[in-house]
Amino acid sequence: MKPIHLYNGCLRSGMGATLAEASAAYLDGRLPSAQWYDLRELGEQRAYLAAPASNLQLEADLEALARECLADEPGPFDDVLLVIASTTLDIGQMEARVAQGEPFHNDLSTSLDRLAAGLRDSLGLAGAFTMNTACTSAANALLYAGRLVASGAYRRALVMAFETPCQLAMQGFGALGLLSPSGHYRPFHPQRDGLVLGEAYCAVMLGEQPGERPLARLLGGFSACDTSNLTTTLEDGSHIDWVMRQALDSACVTSADIALVKLHGTATGANDIAESNGMQRLFAGLQPPSCVLKPYLGHTLGACGLSETLLLLDALRQGPLPPVDYADEAMLALNGAPLALPPEALLLSNFFGFGGNNASLVLQGAQP
Amino acid sequence: MKVIAASEIRGPAGCSDKLLKAEVARFVEPPRRVDRLILQSLLGAAPFLPLLRKDCGLYLAADYPCRPTMELLLEAVFVQHKLPKPLEFVNSVSNAAGFHVAQKLGVEGPNLFIGAGRDLWRQFCEMAALDMADGVVSQALLIHSANPDEFVVRSLLLDNTPGTADSSSFATLSEGLDISRLEIVRADG
Repeated sequence: MKPIHLYNGCLRSGMGATLAEASAAYLDGRLPSAQWYDLRELGEQRAYLAAPASNLQLEADLEALARECLADEPGPFDDVLLVIASTTLDIGQMEARVAQGEPFHNDLSTSLDRLAAGLRDSLGLAGAFTMNTACTSAANALLYAGRLVASGAYRRALVMAFETPCQLAMQGFGALGLLSPSGHYRPFHPQRDGLVLGEAYCAVMLGEQPGERPLARLLGGFSACDTSNLTTTLEDGSHIDWVMRQALDSACVTSADIALVKLHGTATGANDIAESNGMQRLFAGLQPPSCVLKPYLGHTLGACGLSETLLLLDALRQGPLPPVDYADEAMLALNGAPLALPPEALLLSNFFGFGGNNASLVLQGAQP
Repeated sequence: MKVIAASEIRGPAGCSDKLLKAEVARFVEPPRRVDRLILQSLLGAAPFLPLLRKDCGLYLAADYPCRPTMELLLEAVFVQHKLPKPLEFVNSVSNAAGFHVAQKLGVEGPNLFIGAGRDLWRQFCEMAALDMADGVVSQALLIHSANPDEFVVRSLLLDNTPGTADSSSFATLSEGLDISRLEIVRADG
């Protein structure tokens, strides 16, 4: 694909109210403090990485985020495509009403297009849709929005991704036994005990020009469905390997060109094994440095494709990435020492999710 | 890119999941313990089974999440103060429908789920055109599950034969095609 610039990134997450706060904390190796919530029935608690509270409602929050991302852009915005990536959307608002005793009725469940359509109309955008492919939602949003811009269908795209503190997700992952009882989020650690969910709201512009605050170029990517299992991918890593290879091909690069792999790394038993095996298949003994970001942001589900991408890209422009303190015990080579990369290093970024969705993106950092 | 087949399936509000499952079973063995959105999506896709190639991309959209599943989850978590049933939670992930369609029909291309809006068919076609132009898929199966109660499922199968069509709606895209129609008239729920 024709490379497309990512710029004007915005992030509110458990790492801070802004992308700059988040990357500064990440570069210092400062992990966020978790909040704890009760799991129904079990009498146990699980950790959650909440974002700083906003005084606004979700709709107003999203519009403010979109306007912040568009602030340096020339208007009007009738050449901008909006893609929203989220699994929870406005479910939290429905939960609040049911929690107050309102019985379920169909009107409580709003249309899947409501938030995207509202932003499209209020901002005067060319078009908008909601991408919902579980934990690959934002990765797919970046991939398809970038390719639509590259194809000339739209001049610019705004990709927004978010996950709210939704009880259905928090309890649902608990029901699946995928949440970490310890709250120590350690992807690829032999004693890893599951994931920690996180809240995030993020946005980025995509265009043929680098914009005022350039972050990277999207060189390619690939997304496909592994139909072997609804909640896990093939444990031998073969589907992940294939997806990564297709992503590299689409960017016209090889595995030897990759300077850093941003692993998906959920810290669940099966998925870390599958990703480790996929990495072994692709890189054999020549694995480049790899990093994990979920210990910092939590697993931000449908938003992780953008929240992790923004955190990594912004941090890489400012200094060496912090080491992983258990790197010498990890199942695959994580960075055990501060990791500095040239600004224009090539990155491979993995995102895998329920529904068999596996996606990889190839990015190139922008010059500071 | 050319539309090669079209299907429209309608059912009444009272149509039970059991009846939907029986309709799906005419084409493929239905998966167990799945929800209404999954069954409706399967029903929309299954008539194309003899035509599908392995590298077909799946582009699925719905107006709403599966409301019966949402009600069950909310009832468990907020009324009974229990953990949701794992399968009900997994079914609530919107792209679970896409997974079951892909698995049952044996397609392995991109599998996207989007919220259906006013420009749905144009957006479907834009994404399918990208994947075809890049050689990622040779076919695209577009499925829209509309109206959760008195439901309508409209589906189109496209291939990479050169051609153009007005992508503004299902009607314009399927113009001139013999649309396969099924109307489920019995409401047994």
